[in-house]
Amino acid sequence: MKNNMTVSGHSSRPAKASAAVRIFIAAAAVSMLAVLMPMKAWSQPPLYQKCLLCHGRPGFKKILPDGKVLELFVNKAELEHSIHAKLHCTDCHADVMEIPHMKVPGTVNCYRCHYKDNPNGAKPANEFFQSVHGKLDEQGDPKAPRCQNCHGGHNVQKVDSPLSTVSHLNVAYTCGKCHKPQYDNYVQSIHGTALLDRHIKSAPTCTTCHGKHLILKPDSPDSTIYPLNVINVCSKCHENKELIRKYNIPGGRISTYKESYHGIADEFGSVRVANCSSCHRAHLILPESDPRSSINKANLAKTCGKCHKDANVNFTKGKIHVNYKSKSNGILYYIGMFFEILTISTLTLLFIHILLDLFRRFKSGETKGKNKRGE
Amino acid sequence: MKDNYRPAKDKIIEELERYAAGIIPGTGDHELDDETKRLIRQEAVRDLDAFLDAKTKNIRTLVLRQQRLKAKLQKKKEWEKDTFLRFNIYFRIQHIMLFSSVIILVITGLPIKFPNSSISRFMMSVMGGIATQGILHRVGAVLLIGFYVFHTLYTIFNREGRRDFVQLLPKPKDIKDVFQMIKYFFGFAKEKPKFDRFSYIEKFDYWAVYWGGIVMVGSGLIMWFHNIALSVFPKYVYDIAREAHSDEALLATLTIVIWHFYNVHFNPSRFPGSLVWWHGKLTKEQMIDEHPLEYERMIKEKEDDNG
Repeated sequence: MKNNMTVSGHSSRPAKASAAVRIFIAAAAVSMLAVLMPMKAWSQPPLYQKCLLCHGRPGFKKILPDGKVLELFVNKAELEHSIHAKLHCTDCHADVMEIPHMKVPGTVNCYRCHYKDNPNGAKPANEFFQSVHGKLDEQGDPKAPRCQNCHGGHNVQKVDSPLSTVSHLNVAYTCGKCHKPQYDNYVQSIHGTALLDRHIKSAPTCTTCHGKHLILKPDSPDSTIYPLNVINVCSKCHENKELIRKYNIPGGRISTYKESYHGIADEFGSVRVANCSSCHRAHLILPESDPRSSINKANLAKTCGKCHKDANVNFTKGKIHVNYKSKSNGILYYIGMFFEILTISTLTLLFIHILLDLFRRFKSGETKGKNKRGE
Repeated sequence: MKDNYRPAKDKIIEELERYAAGIIPGTGDHELDDETKRLIRQEAVRDLDAFLDAKTKNIRTLVLRQQRLKAKLQKKKEWEKDTFLRFNIYFRIQHIMLFSSVIILVITGLPIKFPNSSISRFMMSVMGGIATQGILHRVGAVLLIGFYVFHTLYTIFNREGRRDFVQLLPKPKDIKDVFQMIKYFFGFAKEKPKFDRFSYIEKFDYWAVYWGGIVMVGSGLIMWFHNIALSVFPKYVYDIAREAHSDEALLATLTIVIWHFYNVHFNPSRFPGSLVWWHGKLTKEQMIDEHPLEYERMIKEKEDDNG
């Protein structure tokens, strides 16, 4: 400014230009502010101060008529770090019409936002309604879980956040709150120890096999763990060459199963026949070397005996996942080779005999003989 | 046509006129007037042509049919005089048992051998799933085992069965016959080898079924009664049985479809096949062509019987 003023009378043009620039900058600033205003509002503490006057006090609780204690304390830090930090309490607790509220608020209904056709969560909600959990909830089972039972209430997080109750590492614990025996088995299994103790992210957890929202009973044909579908679930990892190499998983399990009579019957739709989990168990899956394993040589007769009555130690003499083309099978490989040679040589000789016979018949005109006789 | 019936018609009219004359009571030979005669004649010939036409037609077919039957009988008599019973009724029943069981076993077994092909999936759905397939395959198996039992009893207790078994044993002549046949194929020999009751081709077929039967029934029973088998044998014996069953099944199927079908159906002198499996007989020409040594022996035996 001062520079402009010191310049002689000819300076009117630059001064005018700088006024235009100033106006432009002012307008830009105003519009920027307008754009940033909501963000500013979001970064401010949300509108739950009022509620936290009571619910923010640690130890805030109610003793119910039956003697149970209902914890009513809400951790503000938890709320501020959740994915719903920007929401007001009454956005979820929608039946609270006045503060302080007179009535006991009902269960939160997540479908208020995560409804059908809402791209932010329609699919999981719709899948949940078809799942075994959703069906039980619909029937009014008080034990049936709803969204908040797994995803958490005030501490709901994105699934890839390590704080989320449904993250790959935490979901087993969350499921285990209701499915205790299965959780105990899973934690001991090779899958559970790999994921929870050794933190191998590729190791499966509950949802890897059972699905996330569309969890169905094993006897439902659409279920991922329906007898005919189990092989698809297991082959996701056990046929993945990269994982097999990286974690030194025994390969060829799926292909040898498919070659076995069990696999063929499974392929043709038999639900009675043994699938992966029939022998390896569903949750307490352990390697052969582990003495607790269902496929340990000491336990194999018992495992086979579930279907093959009077199964004895003979079941352990020989491989179960037999690769008929592998030389390591010894006599089996040579029997296969013997039949291969026998078949090829026999058929070659027979074929030569047929060709020579035909050659001779055509040469001696026998094939035209019938016509000649007809004339 | 009508003129052919002239004499017959005149006779009918004459008879009817005599009958009409006798109708009027009291007068033995009453003369009829011309008008009545004309009316009688008119009534008599009405529909007579059509009637005679139909009758002559029926009589014609009747006579011709009778003639044809006679000719057929004669032909059959001549054929029977000229044919030789090659396979007796037990032999034929065994062959029918064998091929029907093999057809069932191949159709129900192949989908298990090739589970990933779409034809297998189609066949399996036609059969109604793997449970029904298992039952059908075992029905075929029982029929096949029945055939082997029947054949064993026939070989032991039937005179012709014992004779056939001895004749089916491989002899040095068979090797000579093979070389003779090769020479014949290439034109170095004018004559085919002279076969006895069973040529080396038929002997090969017989012993192939013998070997196949031991492998298939043995391994099949291990798999059918796997719980019993595994209480005695280790698991790798079951695996061997499965491998052998699967491999031998393919060998047998291919041999039948390529080799046996060529020899009895698709070769130019047999196409599309003969009914020997049904009546068990060969004509004199077929005997001389295919089994000259057996033919000579049969003629000799007949002469011995007559003498």
